[in-house]
Amino acid sequence: MSSLRHVGTSPPRPEGGDKVGGRARYIHDITVPGMLHGAIRYSDHAHARIRRIDTSRAEALPGVRAVITAFNTPEIIIGFMGDNPVLKKDKVRQFRDELAAVAAEDAETARAAAELIEVEYEPLPGVFSVEEALAEGAPLIHETDRRGKPLSSNRLPLIFGHDSGDLAAGETAAAFVAEGSFSTPLIQQSCMGTAGALAEFDSNGNLTITAKTQIPFLAQRDFTKAMASLGLKGCSVRVVVPTLGGGFGTGLDTHVYEYISILLAWRTGKPVRVLYNREQEFAYLSPRQSTESRVRQGCDKQGRLTFRSVEVVQDNGAYASWGATYPSVMLLPTTSLYRVPAVRFRSDIVYTNNTYCQAMRGYGNPEVTLGIESTLDELAELSGIDPLEIRRINCNQPGEVTPMGLKVGTCGLAECLDRAGERSAWSEKRGQGRATSRGIGISSLIHVGGGGKIYRSDGSGIILKLDDYGVVHVNYGGVEMGQGLHSAISLMVADGLGVKPSSVIVNQTDTATCPWDVGTHASRGAFMAGNAALKACAKLRARLFEWAPRVYGDLVAENIKRARRRDGDFDPGFTEELLAKLTPGQFELLDGELFPHGETGLPPLEDAPWLKVDLGRFLRAVHFPRAGGAGTVFTEEAFYEPATELPDWEKGYGNMSASYTYGCQAIEVEVDQETGQVTVLKLVSALDVGRVLNPQTLKGQVYGGIAQGLGYALYEEVKTEGGRVLNPGFTDYKLPTASEMAFPIELEFVETDDASGPFGAKGVGEPGLVPTAPAMANAIQDAIGVRIRDLPITPEKILDALAARDGA
Amino acid sequence: MTTLTYQRPTSLREALETGGSDGARFVSGGTDLMVQRRSGRSGTENLVSLRRVEELAGIDWKNDQLRIGAAVPLAGIGADQRIARDFPALAQAIAALGSVQIRNVATLGGNLCNASPAADTAPALLAYEARIEIANTGGTRTVGLDEFFTGPGSTVLQPGELLTAILLDARQSAGSAFMRLGRVRMDLAIASAAALVEIEDNRCTHARVAVGAVAPTPLRLSAVEEILEGKAPDGPTLAKAQAAVDALISPISDLRASARHRRRITPVLVARALEAAISMATGDAQ
Ligand SMILES: Cc1cc2nc3c(=O)[nH]c(=O)nc-3n(C[C@H](O)[C@H](O)[C@H](O)COP(=O)(O)OP(=O)(O)OC[C@H]3O[C@@H](n4cnc5c(N)ncnc54)[C@H](O)[C@@H]3O)c2cc1C
Repeated sequence: MSSLRHVGTSPPRPEGGDKVGGRARYIHDITVPGMLHGAIRYSDHAHARIRRIDTSRAEALPGVRAVITAFNTPEIIIGFMGDNPVLKKDKVRQFRDELAAVAAEDAETARAAAELIEVEYEPLPGVFSVEEALAEGAPLIHETDRRGKPLSSNRLPLIFGHDSGDLAAGETAAAFVAEGSFSTPLIQQSCMGTAGALAEFDSNGNLTITAKTQIPFLAQRDFTKAMASLGLKGCSVRVVVPTLGGGFGTGLDTHVYEYISILLAWRTGKPVRVLYNREQEFAYLSPRQSTESRVRQGCDKQGRLTFRSVEVVQDNGAYASWGATYPSVMLLPTTSLYRVPAVRFRSDIVYTNNTYCQAMRGYGNPEVTLGIESTLDELAELSGIDPLEIRRINCNQPGEVTPMGLKVGTCGLAECLDRAGERSAWSEKRGQGRATSRGIGISSLIHVGGGGKIYRSDGSGIILKLDDYGVVHVNYGGVEMGQGLHSAISLMVADGLGVKPSSVIVNQTDTATCPWDVGTHASRGAFMAGNAALKACAKLRARLFEWAPRVYGDLVAENIKRARRRDGDFDPGFTEELLAKLTPGQFELLDGELFPHGETGLPPLEDAPWLKVDLGRFLRAVHFPRAGGAGTVFTEEAFYEPATELPDWEKGYGNMSASYTYGCQAIEVEVDQETGQVTVLKLVSALDVGRVLNPQTLKGQVYGGIAQGLGYALYEEVKTEGGRVLNPGFTDYKLPTASEMAFPIELEFVETDDASGPFGAKGVGEPGLVPTAPAMANAIQDAIGVRIRDLPITPEKILDALAARDGA
Repeated sequence: MTTLTYQRPTSLREALETGGSDGARFVSGGTDLMVQRRSGRSGTENLVSLRRVEELAGIDWKNDQLRIGAAVPLAGIGADQRIARDFPALAQAIAALGSVQIRNVATLGGNLCNASPAADTAPALLAYEARIEIANTGGTRTVGLDEFFTGPGSTVLQPGELLTAILLDARQSAGSAFMRLGRVRMDLAIASAAALVEIEDNRCTHARVAVGAVAPTPLRLSAVEEILEGKAPDGPTLAKAQAAVDALISPISDLRASARHRRRITPVLVARALEAAISMATGDAQ
């Protein structure tokens, strides 16, 4: 590795100009000759048997090229539990169930035809809450499992648990115990760019699908499986990722609309694109699931935690996506946020006839951090210890191994707490309370910072290819979705190899050209890409330097000749024999210039600029040797697999990440006790990021996380009734906008330089939103003396709580 | 494919003639109408734009009488210094309505003719006792704004009739204010209130109070006005006024808030609008 010249700086993002200038190509911008438009016919019931589907009127509509249903199309079943048929045949289990799809010459005709499809149902009773779903005699949403074995309950057979230490002893040792029930809402990821896919087959049966995905390679695996159902076993699947207008977890699984685009393309022999608009995205794409949890923890008189118990129930909706596995990440804060000697965790994941759910930023972490951080504040109150102090008392320490077996390497939580306390003027603001209606609250967080092993490999491959002009072309399988991954890659490759960031081009993600990567989730993108890139850079440098002695002398001789042409008396001050003696270890590459370093006997570079050779010129000299003979070109690949463990989920044990990101947020609020309105006065975030790669994109990540955290805390909720989404659009689904974010935000970054990270960096994609809601709940409690345990914290809930407190 | 006709008359006569034809619908900024079309709540296929109709375009003063053309964009009204001075509650309502982009095209006429119970400009205009000028091919007539709304989404306008202008009289000694609450800043009101008062010798000589989003139409609260008139504008009077609100409103529960919540916050908004109006009238504001 060369020295840090670009890591830590904020050059404009490589893709920024194209996005701002309207040149970036999102799925909506991509059309190909002969392309047809797909539209999907969804269910009219939340739970019903399908009696008959009549497509004749749709087929008769001019411009319609194909209408597919389960009755005329091979069966494809998706989802990691194998519970979701692409086209429903026997019954529908949610309003968004896909009954049929149409390909037509234009989008409007396709939509009109989809509406002309007539469906007869036999309605079934539905279950729309976990209580209803788990009640005795509740209607079964899935009567059998994927192998046809009868099921007896709506509970998913997925077990995530944890028991460590002596819980009973922890209870006995506790001088104070706090306990509460918490709930978090169904929310929409609300990507600026809505979803879509474009599928096309070549005449050999090979499929190319342009898809808004965060997991191109797992998607390739899923689509390849589906190819077998189409009689195309052995044909290739290529997944191409267009520019993404946000991912936030929506792209962490394959979706029915993608298979529908494949089926329609297969049926018609034409490229077919399926797009979602905003309303469809709200109604037919998987949101973040709602949860209910019960959290109980205790501490001794000194404020030291003695035990913690967390039980969570998730309303999964009608089918299982990877989002069902939120408890895998809930284990993290439950077992490892602060030091707790005895921990218990249980989870229930339940099918209902609500919309089925999916991943979103934080993935279970904010859901349980809310209860943990809220009850911790209650313990502080009970024990008479300041909330910031009780967090210091229980603070995680570098090098510790947590009850889950997490090997905490570096840990900057103590410093984060200190800095947040200072910047927020904690001791001055805390406890002003009811007289002023102002309050301050704090919450910490832990998240994976070095990947998150939830699949048999958590690896990432990378290919670096040097062209004849000194430009590095990077093929990386992870996805830039707005988070700044390509900027981070260009800076890390620039410093790792020794070129300028502008000479690093990160290519479009494409399974045909990029090596395998598990997906861009778990805050792993920059961490993995950086580690893989540094490995590949080291190989490239070694090979470049190996070739250097063969051509470097000639190139410098040319430099000297040129200098002599300008100045007849020019004297380089050394003999050319010295150049011939240089060995591979005596070369350095920096900002695209090759030169000797170390004890070479040559004059210092400042005095002898002619010793610098442009990388492109060097590469051409190696590629086309003047002396004849075989030259070479430079392409290197590397695969980085972190030394982590796939946890035993039933035991909740295993070191799933190579490093852990810690941090906290302090929020100061004012609450209007007559209207329930909450105004944020100030927010301070302190985050242990290992190393700042690009200050600007890092700030962007944290600001964005805070905005989402604010929405989660105060505003956002998909409302449903009998399984139907009532507010499918931004008219009645309220995101915070610039007006709601108009309070001062102060960001502190603690650089702990973690040995596992590229340049010491940890993953920072998700943490921004994790502590916001609990810090808000704690601040509101400080301001007005009531605690809200139910997100979002709306003015209604605040006035209700105040009325209940005052006995009204 | 559906087709849409779009006509752009330039005079009031032309507008009334084209607008009177079958299935025609007036459109000004389109910020209500186009949203309703897209969501299927309005099937209109024959639009008559009012944006180029000269008679609807101006802001005109005659002494203390103000005439605002129905098709003047809200941004233009909001930027008018004299309106901000003489009708601050209207300026505040406009500032609260939508976003800059919306206000650049949305009109006062559209806000009133759409007749949403939550229309932000309505409570302020009710407090100013605005009159509405209505034209049809036979001529023009004027009605009080308090008679204009007949229910959610409906007004006294007959098919083919146009709202041409909003007429206001400035009361130089009055203080007035508008207050509203939404879930976020960019939202329709959960509840809103406007108040206007005149104070002489520590006595309220004239009071007008109106609320929005808590009844089938924007609503004048005459009973509250009566409590205020003739009394000292002090704490006890305000408390009485605030307490009287609940009996006068009939809010519903919807996605924005429950009826119960609206009942809790509307009296607060009325009291706060009154306080702001009183302090303006008594010169405390500066
Ligand atoms: C994002 C967004 C935010 C919004 N926020 C708010 C808000 O905060 N508060 C609020 O009150 N509203 C809000 N609105 C609603 C809307 O912007 C306002 O009601 C606006 O004033 C409507 O004016 P317009 O000129 O666009 O009406 P249009 O949509 O053109 O017309 C509305 C209706 O009035 C009729 N009409 C218009 N002009 C006349 C006329 N002169 N004579 C007879 N009939 C006529 C039309 O036929 C139509 O039925 C919002 C809308 C959007 C899209």
